Order: sequence, then C-alpha cells, then structure tokens
Amino acid sequence: MSARGISLVAGRREGVLDILFQGNFWEGVLDILYIYGLSGLWTHALRKRRETRNVAGVELFNIDLDIAYHWVLTWMSLQIPGIGVLSSEAPQHMHFKYTLNDLRKNPGVNIALLVVLVFSAFLMASGAMVMERTLGSVNALFDQAKPPHFLQMHKGAYDKAALDAFATAHPEIDSWLIEDMVGYDSAVLAWARPGTTESGTLSKSLIDNLFVTQNTAFDFLLDADSTIAYPADGETFVPVAYQQRFGLQAGDELRIRTDVGIESFVIAGFVRDSQMASSLSSATRFLVSDADFERLHTSGGSPEIIVEYRLADPAQTSNFQAAYESDQSLPKNGQAVTGDMIRIINAISDGLVAIALMFVSLLLIAIALLNVRFVIRGRLQDEVHQIGAMKAIGLPNSTISGLYLSKYSAMTLIACVIGGGLAIVASRALTSGMQASYATAPVTALTFLAPIAALVLVFLVVIAICRHVLRLINRIEVVGALVHGSTLNERQTARRGKRLARRVRRSAFTSYRGGDLGRRISLVDLRSEAGQWMLLPLVFLLAVVLITLPTNLLTTFQSPKFVTYMGAPESDLRIDLQFSDDLEQVREDADTAFATDSRLAQVHRFANELVETRGDEGWESMRVEVGDYSGNTIQYLRGGPPSAGEISLSVLNADRYGVDVDDEFTVRRDGSEVTLTVNGVYQDITSGGQTAKMAGDATGIVTGYIYYATTAAGQDPTVIATDYGDRFPAATVVPMREYVSQTLSYVTSAFFNAALLAIVFAIGVAALITTLNLTLRLAREKRRSGILSALGFSGSELAAQLRFKAILTVVIGTMIGVAVAATLGEALVGAAISLAGLGISNLAFIPNPLLVYVAYPLLLMAVGTISAVAVSSRLRRGDTSAWLRA
Amino acid sequence: MTLSEAPSTSPALVTTALVTTALEKSYHSTEPPTRVLNGIDLAVRQGEFLAVMGASGSGKSTLLYCISGMDRPTAGHVRLGDLDLTELSERDMSHTRLTKMGFIFQQAYFLSNFNLRDNILLPALKAQPKARAEVEARVDAMLERFGIAHVADHGITQVSGGQLQRASICRALATKPAVLFADEPTGALNSSMTLEVMDALTGVHRDGTTIMMVTHDPACAVRADRVVYLRDGLLVDERDLGAWQQADTSRREDELLSWLRDHDF
Repeated sequence: MSARGISLVAGRREGVLDILFQGNFWEGVLDILYIYGLSGLWTHALRKRRETRNVAGVELFNIDLDIAYHWVLTWMSLQIPGIGVLSSEAPQHMHFKYTLNDLRKNPGVNIALLVVLVFSAFLMASGAMVMERTLGSVNALFDQAKPPHFLQMHKGAYDKAALDAFATAHPEIDSWLIEDMVGYDSAVLAWARPGTTESGTLSKSLIDNLFVTQNTAFDFLLDADSTIAYPADGETFVPVAYQQRFGLQAGDELRIRTDVGIESFVIAGFVRDSQMASSLSSATRFLVSDADFERLHTSGGSPEIIVEYRLADPAQTSNFQAAYESDQSLPKNGQAVTGDMIRIINAISDGLVAIALMFVSLLLIAIALLNVRFVIRGRLQDEVHQIGAMKAIGLPNSTISGLYLSKYSAMTLIACVIGGGLAIVASRALTSGMQASYATAPVTALTFLAPIAALVLVFLVVIAICRHVLRLINRIEVVGALVHGSTLNERQTARRGKRLARRVRRSAFTSYRGGDLGRRISLVDLRSEAGQWMLLPLVFLLAVVLITLPTNLLTTFQSPKFVTYMGAPESDLRIDLQFSDDLEQVREDADTAFATDSRLAQVHRFANELVETRGDEGWESMRVEVGDYSGNTIQYLRGGPPSAGEISLSVLNADRYGVDVDDEFTVRRDGSEVTLTVNGVYQDITSGGQTAKMAGDATGIVTGYIYYATTAAGQDPTVIATDYGDRFPAATVVPMREYVSQTLSYVTSAFFNAALLAIVFAIGVAALITTLNLTLRLAREKRRSGILSALGFSGSELAAQLRFKAILTVVIGTMIGVAVAATLGEALVGAAISLAGLGISNLAFIPNPLLVYVAYPLLLMAVGTISAVAVSSRLRRGDTSAWLRA
Repeated sequence: MTLSEAPSTSPALVTTALVTTALEKSYHSTEPPTRVLNGIDLAVRQGEFLAVMGASGSGKSTLLYCISGMDRPTAGHVRLGDLDLTELSERDMSHTRLTKMGFIFQQAYFLSNFNLRDNILLPALKAQPKARAEVEARVDAMLERFGIAHVADHGITQVSGGQLQRASICRALATKPAVLFADEPTGALNSSMTLEVMDALTGVHRDGTTIMMVTHDPACAVRADRVVYLRDGLLVDERDLGAWQQADTSRREDELLSWLRDHDF
C-alpha cells in the first residue's frame, strides 16, 4: 500500500495531495503518515551514523521506535475496509467518496467524535507511559543505587560484636554495613546564594535530616548523572526533594547551626536516595566528606545508625527479617524496613497517578463508545434509503458495512496517532519531577510497547463496537428501507407498532390540569424514547464519577482525619520523643509541661515499646504503642481499642500472624509470656503498616514516646509546635495538618494533577457530547418540530422543550452519578488501594461534600445547560416548511 | 364522489377573510436564486372554499406556506382579518397559527408518541389551557361526527390513511380557526378514502369555515366555490363555480375540466 503510494508520487508525478483529494483519501492519509515516519527513520539513522560513538541506545531506540511505528500503522490500517482491496479501484473510490461526502456534510459531528477518540487514546497512552516510566525510573535507581534488602534503624548504644556474630551465622547475607548518621533538626538548617541576597531556611521540612558519608559497598547516593557522588571537604550533596521544594541550586551555601557554631558547606549537587526518595519516607540523607562527618558528629547532632543487609536471594527477606528480629542482642529500637516496602512506597506515589490516568481514560473510552454507537445508529437510520438501494442492486452486506467501518476505523486510527503523539509530550511533563527524584529510566522494548499496546487496545475496542453496531445492516430489509424508510424488518415493525399502541392507549393528558403543555409533551417524548435519550444521562453519570473519584482521593489524603489511616488519632499536634539516653527524663519534663499548658485541651501519650511475638522462626520483635486508648478517635476496621488484657493489630500485622478479632495472641514482655485477646484491627500506613496497640503502661524496652494533643479553641498549633520544638530540642513537634500534607505531598500533588486533568476532560467531553447529541437529535426531530410549529408552537417554545429534555436527562444522570461515585466508586478505589498493599484495606473517602456533591454536579449541570441552550437556540430560527419536508 | 354533494355558496359572502398583496418568494440557496412566487394578489372571502390549482412546481404549496407564516415571504403582505401577518414576530405568528389557522397536510403529520385523540387535543389545549372540559367535549363531538371515535385511543400507525386525514381535519378544527388550510389533503389516499375526506371537508365548509385548499385533483377542486390557477408563481386565472352549483352539478364539473384544459392542465 505504501509502496504503491510512493510510486504514485514518483512515477506519475502526483503529490500526496493529489492522491488525497483525487484518488484514495485513506491511502493519501496513510502515505503522509508513512512519509513522516520514514523521514524520522532516515534522520535517526543519519544521526546514528554521524555519532557512531554514541551507542547508549537512544538513537537505536529511535530507530526501533520508527520500525514499530510502521509495523503498527500498517497493521492498524489493514483493519480499515477499502484499504485492503487495492487491486480494484471501484470500492476504494466508493469508500473515499462516501467518507469525504460524510465529512463535508457533518463536520461538527465528525470532529466532536474525533476529539473524544483522541482524548481517550491520549489518556490511555499517557497512563501506560507514565506507569512504564515510573516503574522504569524506580528500577533504574534501584539497579544503580543498590538499596538494602533489609534495614534496621537504631538510636543509642548497640553491640557491634552481636552484629558481627549474626552476620557470620547467616550465610545468606551477601554483604552488610552499619551506616553512621548524624541528625540535625530542620530548624538549624539554612541556605544562602553567594553574591545575591537570596537565602532561606529548611525549617518548614518536618522530616529528619541525616548527614552521612558515601557507602562503599551498596546503598549509594547518586548524583544527577546517576553516578556515585563523593563530596570534597567543605562540600555537600543535598536531597533532590529539597532541591525541588526550596529551589536550591548547585553552588548555594548550606549552613548548619551546631552546638559549636555555624558549619558551612557548598552545595556541590543533589543526590537521589533509593531508600528515602519517596515523600512517604520520614527522613532524608545529606552527603558530606568523611572529615566533615566526623566534625558534625561531635558538634551536637543526634547520632543514629542504620544496619543494612543485602541478601544473596532477595526472596528470603521476610525469613531474614524474622531471624533478625528474633535475635535479642541486635539493635532494633528504630524502624525496620524491607526492600519490598521501599519499592512499593516509591512506586505507589507516582504509580497512583498512572492508575488515575488509566481510570480516567477508561471512563472516557466508555463515553466514546456510547457516542460511536449513537452516531452510527443515527447514520444508519438517516441513510436507510441509500442502504436499501445498495442492497437492492446486490451489494453484499459486508461491502455496505465496510463503507461505514472504513470511516470509523480510519478516524480511530488518526485519533490513536494524534493521541499517542500528544501522550509522548504529556508523559514527559508528567514524569519529569519523578525522573529527577529517581533515575532516568532506561529505554527498553517495553518503553514503546506499553503505549503502543494501550493504543492498539483502544483501536481494537472501538472497531469491535463499530462492527457490532454495523451488524444492524444485515437485518435491514430492502422493502422496509426503500418504502418505509425503516431499519426494522416486518416483524420488528409489527412489534414496535404493538408496543407503541399499548403505550399510547392511556391519554397523555389524563392528569393534565393546565400548566406548561410543552413540558408535558417533553415528558411523554422522554418516556417513549427513553432508549434514544440514554446517552446524555450515561455520559453525565460517567463524567461525575470521573471528576469525583480523583478529587475524593485527593481530599481524603489531604484531610487531617487521614491520620486515622496512619494509625494515629485525629489531633492538632504530634510530638515525637525519640530514643536518647535521657529519654525518661525528657518524658517527665514534657508530661509536666503539657499538663500545665492551658493552650492544650487534651494530651494523649503513648509509649513505643518493643515486645516479642511468635513468628515463623520463633520469637521476633514487634513494635507496640502502649497507652490509654479511652476516648481515642482512631477508626477501627473491626473491633475497637484495646483495654487491659487486649491488643489491637494493624491490618498487615493481623494478616501476618493470621489472627482476627477475638483470637488469642501471645506476646513476651520483659521475658514473661502474656496471652492477650485481639480486640481490634485498624489501618496503618506508618512503620511499613506493621504496628500494634496495647492498653496500660509500658513495661519493656521503650524506644520513644508519641504525644497527640488537641489545642484549646482559638490556639494555633503551629505556634505551639515552634514553642515546644525550642523547649525540647530532642523532640520532634509537628502540627498534624502540616505533618500529613508533607508526608503525603507526592501523593497529594499527584492526585491534584489527576483531579485537575479529570475535571478539564470531563467538562470538555460533557460539553462536546451534549452539543453533539442534541445537534443530532435536532436533525432527527425535524419532522416533530415542523408539526408542532405548524400547530402553533413558537420557536422559543420548541427550544424550551429541547432544553427541558436535555437538562432533565443531564440532571438525572448527574444525580445517579453522584450516588454511584459515593457508593460504588468508594468500593472500587478502596479495592485498588487495598491491592497496593500499603496497609489500607478499607479506604473510606473523606470527601469535601460541598465541592464534590454540590459544586461539581452543579458545574456539570451548568455545562449541560449551556450546551443545551446553545443548541436549542437554533430552533428559534427554524423553518417550519423545511422541517416538515425533511 | 357525487356532484350532488357539492356545497352551496351563500349569496351573502362579502367580507374578506384573507388578502395577499404582491406576495413574492425566492429561494437563495440555488444559483441563481429560484423565484417561486412572483407577486401574488389574492383575496379569500369569509366562508369561501377556495381551491388553488396548477402544475407541479407552480408554487401552490409555497403560496400556502407563505400565507400561513410557515415560510417567510421575500416580499409582499398577507392580511388575515385586521392582522398583517408579514409584520408579526415569530412568536405572534405562531400564536396566530394556533388560534386562527388550521392545517391539513398531504401526509398526516402526527406525533407518534400520542394517540389520535391526544394529537387532536394538543393544539386545542394549548390554545385554551384553562378550558379543558370544554375542549375535550368539543373534540369528542368531532370524533363522533367524523366517524373516528372508535379509534380515538389508537396509535397513529394503527389506523387507515382516511381515518388519519379525518383526524387531521378534527385537529385543524379543534381550535375553531378562522381559515382552514389544506395542502393536497387527499394526495396520499385511494379513491374511497379521498371521498371520505372530501365529504368531511365539504361538511366543514357548509358549517361556515373558510377553506383554502391546494390540490391537483379536479375531483377535489370541484367541491370549491372558486378555483384559482397558478403558473410559474403567478396567479393566471380564476373560475367561480358558484353559478352552476344548484342548477346543474355535472355542468359544474364540465366547466371546471374545460377551464383546466384551456390551461393545458
């Protein structure tokens, strides 16, 4: 096909435009796409030859992509009827003529349909690309940075010999290391740009700032070029997250206020951290030289260690973790993290965007399919005489349906090409932030196979629906079509007549007591033609779901109540006392301070205690939050808060130990075994989701304390947080709202984008489809308009009737959509989140009701109304006699 | 049809119901524009039954549509009683059509989602929304009179063409219009149904309704008081059939046919 097109160009001195407008339209279009693709192939090949040294794969990839482009294009275009039959001129000519005429006759309808198809293809391809790029980026970073398969954080003294012994006893360890870190509070970190007056502090950050030196064996911190960074003395590499958040640049100065004065570093670059890249991580690492580290270590920072292991077989991680936790001599008062958790947390933040994009595109495809079906059925009805005539002269059904299919499959093909092109641009923008935090994903076969597969899927689904609808042609009978202009056969006509007769037997005016007669007629029409009016409410239903779900997820993740999913009660302030040698002294001081502070209404204190429980490998450690749970506002999935002799477990722990409410659960505290009853299961996404809660006082090893405080009316949590932060340097005091928003910043900003995208697309599609649908209805109802106009209904009255019908269906669809989004939508999204294994198994939306259940529906209804008003205004200029003759 | 049923013309007809002055209509969608009406001056008397005849494409239907405001004339005036229809807004024109005009088309244009009786009730209820009982009584009486009461609750696909056209007449009369317009009312009917419909129309005229009917069927036109002949958008001739009416009905038919032959019809 292409070869022939090209030979035409050369041999007969015909340009593509000649082929386009005098020969075969589709062949012309395809020739253009081929010439475009071949020129790309040529350019890429030339550049490849010129830059022979560059074998990094980018150019090779481009050439691969060109070849894939042509292959898919050829395959897709062969699906277009009329393209495949190159040998016979007549059918091609017919397809071309028909399509061109149709485009000329109904430009609005065709463009609207094309736009919806482009949207669908675009979002589907973007979703696939973002997903592939995200996974690729995370994997690339993991490959280069080699994060540990298991790590344990710890504060305070530890037994180095025990760690050595453990390593010797476990041959499955490939390598291991102890990373020394020194933590500084964000409040003592500041930056300045030399030669300018620009400066600032990092005090807004709520996560721990840990200064480290570069590791030698694994867990590397990588710079922008994905190479292992080594700062010189006086230099530092700052986390990429801070670069983005505070707008830092290389060359800026980083100042640390230590106990012995100001330490100043030049920012040499920015590092990607495979362990702590995700915003869900509670700490971040700065890289300094060995000498600088030593100085910082002795200048007042809080020392901390991470014990890290890489295993020969990463699949053995959970067994290894159990073995580590069952060894009592090993340090473990901090969080334990596995490689899988790191990977999931990293992938989830941006993976959720990809899922949201795919979700939006699925709904859009549903809308596009409904629309395609409506448009095709309408066309068949309009052109039933032509179809009858074609059947009468003996054209087979396949030729006739091919005539229609060629147009729609070509439109879908064009939509896929345009949508795919737009997706390349969009996905670059959507993943740029992520690629900075992680690594540039290498280009693999999957890089182009993912979006292409998504596009082929869109193409196939649309074509399948077209074929299905076009089967109607097989059932059309010549006489019915030519004489009665009906797509129904005799039996169907009789059935329809009977149905109609039954329906009209009862007078439509029985209950009419004056009032707007137009509305009465409209209601009767809606009742009788419910099937034909289904498209609008369905589209609005889907549109509501489409804009509500991402926003609901966004507000849920933004809500202060979301902490109840983080295993914490709803409160205004969270105060963390982490392990230190004088922990108990600090706690006592804090207790006194909070008790006498009138600005705090209520303070709950919980101790983080390490207890032991029976795992697969014997006794292993488990973190338990111990305290008074009466009056606690945490949401329990099943059961409730623990009282004496009871324990409540997080979802992941309940799954891990295979217990549920009312089961028995044995723990060992201070060497003695206690059998407790499981009283509740709750959701938790902190500490890898593996936590527990017990009532009473801590009796074992306490690794820290958490306070949840609610402020008295009118008090500003931020002010109180600053106050206590200064008074208790060892404590981390954060206002809860700020804590949640920072912890979930990736997720929320991603959802904000997805929600915005969904709103824009939903409104665009709603307006487009309403206009398209009503325009087609108007054409279909010409006769009806003519009759009513002849009887004395004015143009504005006819317009009012159309508006009434449109707005009523739009309102009904929107209302049902709101109900569906609030019920089914929540279950659907909840299921997806639960599958992600984050520790949330039952996500209840925390919506902004005014926004999603009032403002959004009103917005959509306004869009429907404006479109209806715009289309119906055409009725005012109507021509009764022309309508009647239609 | 038997000529004995031909209506009688009252000698007291003097008031003019409808007047057109220099009525013109051109369609600009063609190149050059097609001129369909070339300046029509026509007066229809109160209570008169006027038939408009002419070859296909002579502008008969366009004249009807322009007079009734369903099509806007390019130039000229139409007066209905005291109203200049060409000066009316679209809204007022619609109201005038509702309250002062009735229509019968070649094809029975009915709303398929309503039964026959509802279709007839519709314009009457719109014109008199407060007088539902009165409207219903009037419509039911008409249904009886035109012999379609037994199919009143039928769907429009369940009745014959003749019954549908009689229902059209009912609907047109339901608003008690000043003028009844009929555009080839029997064009789609067989001969027995044609007779049914023309008998019904003649009856309506006998009751005093002014009728303007476009037809190409002499057997229908012969029922009229007067016949005008249209050629290429111009009114070229007219024949008053009133003189022959009572004296000799077959003379009336002969007269019409010979007149039409003079116009190469």
